[in-house]
Amino acid sequence: MDAERSNTTNSSPVLWIIAAFALLILGGLLIAETAPLILPPEASAEAQQVDNLFKILLAIGGAIFLLVQGALVFSVIRFRARPGDKSDGVALHGNATLEFVWTAIPAVIVLILSIISFQVWVSTTSAKDNEMVVNVTGARFTWSFSYAVPDHENLKVNSSTLHTYVGQSLKMVMQSADVNHAFYIPAMRIKQDLLVGRTTEIRFTPTLAGDYPVFCAELCGSGHGSMRARIVVHPDEATYLSWFDDEVNVLLNPPADPVVRGQQILSSGQYPCAGCHTLTELGWTGVTGPNQNGLADRVVKTRVAATGLTPEEYLLHSLYHPSEYLVPGFGNLMPQFQANDPNAPSYMPVEDMEAIVAYLCTLEASGENVCNLDNLQSLASQLK
Amino acid sequence: MASITAPMGGETRSIPAPSPRIADYLRWSIDHKIIGVQYIVTSLFFFVIGGALAMLIRWELLTPTLDLATNGSQYNSLFTLHGTVMIFLWVIPMMAGFGNYLVPLMLGAKDMAFPWLNAFAFWLIPPAGILLLLGWFIGPPEAGWTSYPPLSTLYSPDGQTLWAMALHLLGISSILGAINFIVTIRNMRPEGMGYWQMPLFVWAVLATAIIQVLATPFLTGALTLLILDRVAGTSFFDPSNGGDVLLWQNVFWFYSHPAVYIMILPGFGMVSEVLATHARKPIFGYRAIALSSMAIALVGFTVWAHHMFTALQPELRIPFMITSMIIAVPTGIKIFSWLGTLWGGKIHFTTAMLFALGFLSMFVIGGISGVMLASVPVDIHVHDTYFVVSHFHFVLFGGSVFLIYSGLYHWFPKITGRLLDERLGKLHFVLTYVSFFFTFFPQHIAGLEGMPRRIAVYDPMYTNINQLISFSAFVLGITTFILLYNLVHSLVAGERVGANPWRSLTLEWATTSPPPPYNFVGDPVPFEDPYGYGTEEATAYLDALDRRFPPPTKLPPTAAVPHPEPAGD
Repeated sequence: MDAERSNTTNSSPVLWIIAAFALLILGGLLIAETAPLILPPEASAEAQQVDNLFKILLAIGGAIFLLVQGALVFSVIRFRARPGDKSDGVALHGNATLEFVWTAIPAVIVLILSIISFQVWVSTTSAKDNEMVVNVTGARFTWSFSYAVPDHENLKVNSSTLHTYVGQSLKMVMQSADVNHAFYIPAMRIKQDLLVGRTTEIRFTPTLAGDYPVFCAELCGSGHGSMRARIVVHPDEATYLSWFDDEVNVLLNPPADPVVRGQQILSSGQYPCAGCHTLTELGWTGVTGPNQNGLADRVVKTRVAATGLTPEEYLLHSLYHPSEYLVPGFGNLMPQFQANDPNAPSYMPVEDMEAIVAYLCTLEASGENVCNLDNLQSLASQLK
Repeated sequence: MASITAPMGGETRSIPAPSPRIADYLRWSIDHKIIGVQYIVTSLFFFVIGGALAMLIRWELLTPTLDLATNGSQYNSLFTLHGTVMIFLWVIPMMAGFGNYLVPLMLGAKDMAFPWLNAFAFWLIPPAGILLLLGWFIGPPEAGWTSYPPLSTLYSPDGQTLWAMALHLLGISSILGAINFIVTIRNMRPEGMGYWQMPLFVWAVLATAIIQVLATPFLTGALTLLILDRVAGTSFFDPSNGGDVLLWQNVFWFYSHPAVYIMILPGFGMVSEVLATHARKPIFGYRAIALSSMAIALVGFTVWAHHMFTALQPELRIPFMITSMIIAVPTGIKIFSWLGTLWGGKIHFTTAMLFALGFLSMFVIGGISGVMLASVPVDIHVHDTYFVVSHFHFVLFGGSVFLIYSGLYHWFPKITGRLLDERLGKLHFVLTYVSFFFTFFPQHIAGLEGMPRRIAVYDPMYTNINQLISFSAFVLGITTFILLYNLVHSLVAGERVGANPWRSLTLEWATTSPPPPYNFVGDPVPFEDPYGYGTEEATAYLDALDRRFPPPTKLPPTAAVPHPEPAGD
């Protein structure tokens, strides 16, 4: 560029080039400073490292952006054809030195970026001490988080919200119940696909207490956009344990009333109902399947008359065999729950089903139970 | 010096031949120029359809809840068809159209090597497009243009099968077209044109065709497995029966990443022609540009798994990061070489040139975000978010579509003998440039903030930025009609031009506009350097060309003074 520059100015071209590059670097650094304005809160140790890497990329990218736009704007002003000028430009075919420079410098830049990225990658993905393992299940269109309970091998705390606390490293062990999903927490800067037929993992360590959104980032069907959850980062272990212990207590002392138990099961997010159904009482907003508000009313008024089944029979059968009881206008998308095979991807023990149906039977204007719970119990025991 | 005195070779008298009528464009023809126009018009038609789908997508995204679409599936179908139509029925066939029209002319040839095969490759496209769109009526495909199983196998309606069949046909069309280009370029160059004298557009088409021949069979293979899984009960992609969902992703991207270069390399060739011609300056670093196309074609085969950074086995991510970083280097070489081409030129701000300059300034943003996406830790955050949507629209719209626009303004006079209206063209450019930027640049920000792509229902915190994007997109949609009006209007009322309105040195300008069915009288002799601007020889060659094909006189009848023969400057 030396030769051309000296044509346009009388002072030393070297000085001009140094000044231009100083400006570019300054501009790149300024652009990089915008990163925190755009990125979500930095809520994990990984987020800090990723953001620092992003700032480096943004500074270099910003400088290259300014270089190209600067050269472009300069050229179109300096080398515009004056009106009536029919002559050609200079017959310049290239410059080997310059071409070598603009091949070598980008090559070195991407090499350095690769090395830095590799270091960040190793550091953010390595196993940490004392990791808490949380099992994640993605099912169209909900997230479910499951925690082991110390001293109770058979118990699992299920939650539709991911709970953890500041400083506790997490290892998420993830499986999909149907199609591919991607577990994504923008505030943590982590994302990992859930692949059918495989178990995948991702690690992170929250550093900032708060309540952040969890998204699904891999197209999974009609309710993909609403496949969202929350992560609650408690400020310390004590507040986290107060939540956890409450959950364990409920599990250890299940309420005798099946209606209360059913409500608890549904709100734990253990089953993916919220992904498709709306039920205002539990805060569900899904739109892919039929609305569950006032379900018991509708069942008694229309379905029972049409099918000749009692309300409890109808609900129990339609939950286990949804394809045979499609509500007009809705597709056959609901999982086929299995009553007896604990290894099936959509296993729902009969006890859970009984409680869920008992609860659904109360979804009526007056809140009264429209079902005969004794009959429900005997129907359920036949299924075993 | 022989080229100056006899740019047209031996014969000088033209053979009378009927010029093609409209009906000739509607039926089977083996004339590469008619086929080229058939490709161009067909893909413009699908561009309008794909654009209408984009408008519906942006309408839906004005609010964070479902409003235009009655359910998520409908929205998913909109972007599935939008992506598929824009890639396979707009950009790729449009580039094939330019290739068909220009390659034989640039080589001084009478036609492609296999004219019948050429026509056959084109005529696979209309049925494929119809098949794809018919899917709308039997349950449209809703698994995205990437159609990952098991969503696309066990959970999708029948339109997905038609989608796969349509792409199968388009894949075959693409392979046949590419074979034709390779043979044509290998065998039909004129006397005096070695590989290093070829116009850079021909180099780019050659690189593209090599990619198409090597990569597209993987797409058609994967589609075959997908169709079998859907209709024949096989389970290539069903893990519950021993299949693997990542198999599709690997094979699909082994085609679809190179396909990115299929969509942009011909444009890179076009911009080289436009920049040199309208800046009146030799291309800077001809060999570097030609070889970097080949380097991109080669390295492009080693980067596919960066589309799977969040799914791939962790140990495999770093190697693909390194190759994905490396491919930025040949692309950088091109950008710097094009800037070098402008340096010291005499830049004429024709609409073709404006779109080429607009491409340079927008494409570089796509290049920078591409390097960011190659970096695994950053990609983990922005993968499958609007950052990616922004990135590939910067390279596909800011890249391919800007270059297609540039090419249309540049070669329309060759194809029709008339200029596109430059005032409308400049309006088209300014509106497109500004609305393009405000449609796609804010998507970077939405993505960095964490908004996933392919969602109709989004977190309300993204509402404002989506409204900005949507309103800009509506303006961008309207700009298309300025171009379409200009194309139709100028076809009947555009200013008539001679053989070489831009005074360009490549061979397609060394015959009448439009060229006769046999392209050239005799065997044309190319000028020794396709970009030898700024020399007395070039000026003399161009003047001789003007004398051989005199531009139509523009003087009104009242001022009927004898038009002076253009003399050498």
